[in-house]
Amino acid sequence: MKKLISITIFLFITYVASSQIIRAELTATGLTCSMCSKATYNQLKSISEVELVEPDLNNTTFIIHFKSNTPVNINNLKKKVEDAGFAVGELVVLFKFDTQVAENNTSFVLDNNTYTFMDTKPSTLNGEVRLKILDKGYVIDKEYKKYLNMAKRYPSYVSANKNTYHIKTL
Amino acid sequence: MKKILFVTLIFINLSSFSQELFVLTEPASNMPAKSFGIRNMNAFMFEADGKLNYHNMPEIMWGINKKWMIHAQGFISNRQEGGFETEGGSLYAKYRFFSEDNLKSHFRMALYGRYSLNKADIHQQELETMGHNTGYEAGFIATQLLHKVAISSSLSYERAFDNKPNYKFPITESNSAMNYTLSVGKLMLPKVYTSYKQVNVNLMLELLGQRLNQNGKSYLDIAPSVQFIINSQARIDLAYRQELYSTMLRTAPNGVILKLEYTFFNAFK
Repeated sequence: MKKLISITIFLFITYVASSQIIRAELTATGLTCSMCSKATYNQLKSISEVELVEPDLNNTTFIIHFKSNTPVNINNLKKKVEDAGFAVGELVVLFKFDTQVAENNTSFVLDNNTYTFMDTKPSTLNGEVRLKILDKGYVIDKEYKKYLNMAKRYPSYVSANKNTYHIKTL
Repeated sequence: MKKILFVTLIFINLSSFSQELFVLTEPASNMPAKSFGIRNMNAFMFEADGKLNYHNMPEIMWGINKKWMIHAQGFISNRQEGGFETEGGSLYAKYRFFSEDNLKSHFRMALYGRYSLNKADIHQQELETMGHNTGYEAGFIATQLLHKVAISSSLSYERAFDNKPNYKFPITESNSAMNYTLSVGKLMLPKVYTSYKQVNVNLMLELLGQRLNQNGKSYLDIAPSVQFIINSQARIDLAYRQELYSTMLRTAPNGVILKLEYTFFNAFK
């Protein structure tokens, strides 16, 4: 059965060479003070693929602009926020697509990371699209539990590792 | 006494308090990983005979990773005959083992330990491994942040040894104690953030108590403080510590504390 699932998932994977990640909007949780925010800001700024970080202190949100033509690892964002002593409450990533089919349980690979659609209405994505990361550590605990309850319909969600992400169109 | 209670009530009523970067206690949160901090604590304590005790405690702090941080501290004071003298030093480690973060709130728990050396004379029943006694302290801290308010509490065991080489711990006195603290802090300014350069003002109130294990003697202190955070990186804390009651011998429990701190973010790659 597991084999069958993996084969099915593999078949659904489409390689889209022209897609890329442009920007990320990250809301950090567990902080209110400017010293905490600055610690997070400095950690995010230290990531090599990050071009610019725009902080919004009142909402503890950071808009992260990535360097063009540089592979982006979302996992680095999470690691740096946790290093600052806090957690990721929401991460919305701005992708640029050239015709990408968005259908539940279908995936695409970008910079060695696999992104699988879940809880998404079927559509075809073109141009700049905001996608929310649903995996553990990228949403607040309550939300993670909600998605975990959907795991029957999304078998890969439970076994997600640092190179596989689950995404939802907004 | 009535006055103190009144001040306490005002502080508690101000609650919707923030900031957990307390002056006299440590929160369960750690400093950012790979960061480095320097701190200088200055305590001006009044002795009963009017003499002023000055304690200077320079400290360096290192955030190893998100769970561990360590401090190294030196103890200098003018208590001894002949003026300023380095009396000892200590190592402190804190391990954050629980963290639950939500939007603008968190709950954390940590364990900590301190080992101190001190060569000064033993002159009071109060045990204090920060600047007075050779010994160790091991404890537990829990901190809750709710938007602009932080509440933190700790419980610890403290054990004193001889202040080598010259001063033995008196066998007639209690050489161990339980310490308990309760701290509340609130972010007062700015009301709305516009940049990291804005000065942040926090008001805090801390209660610090000790009970000696062998004879049951105890004390409780109150310490209101004001804290300024400059450029989101430097801290100036000003506190006044006042004894509420004590059944043990303490030579200089009351005084003013001035604490300066600077954090170097991402000092280690």
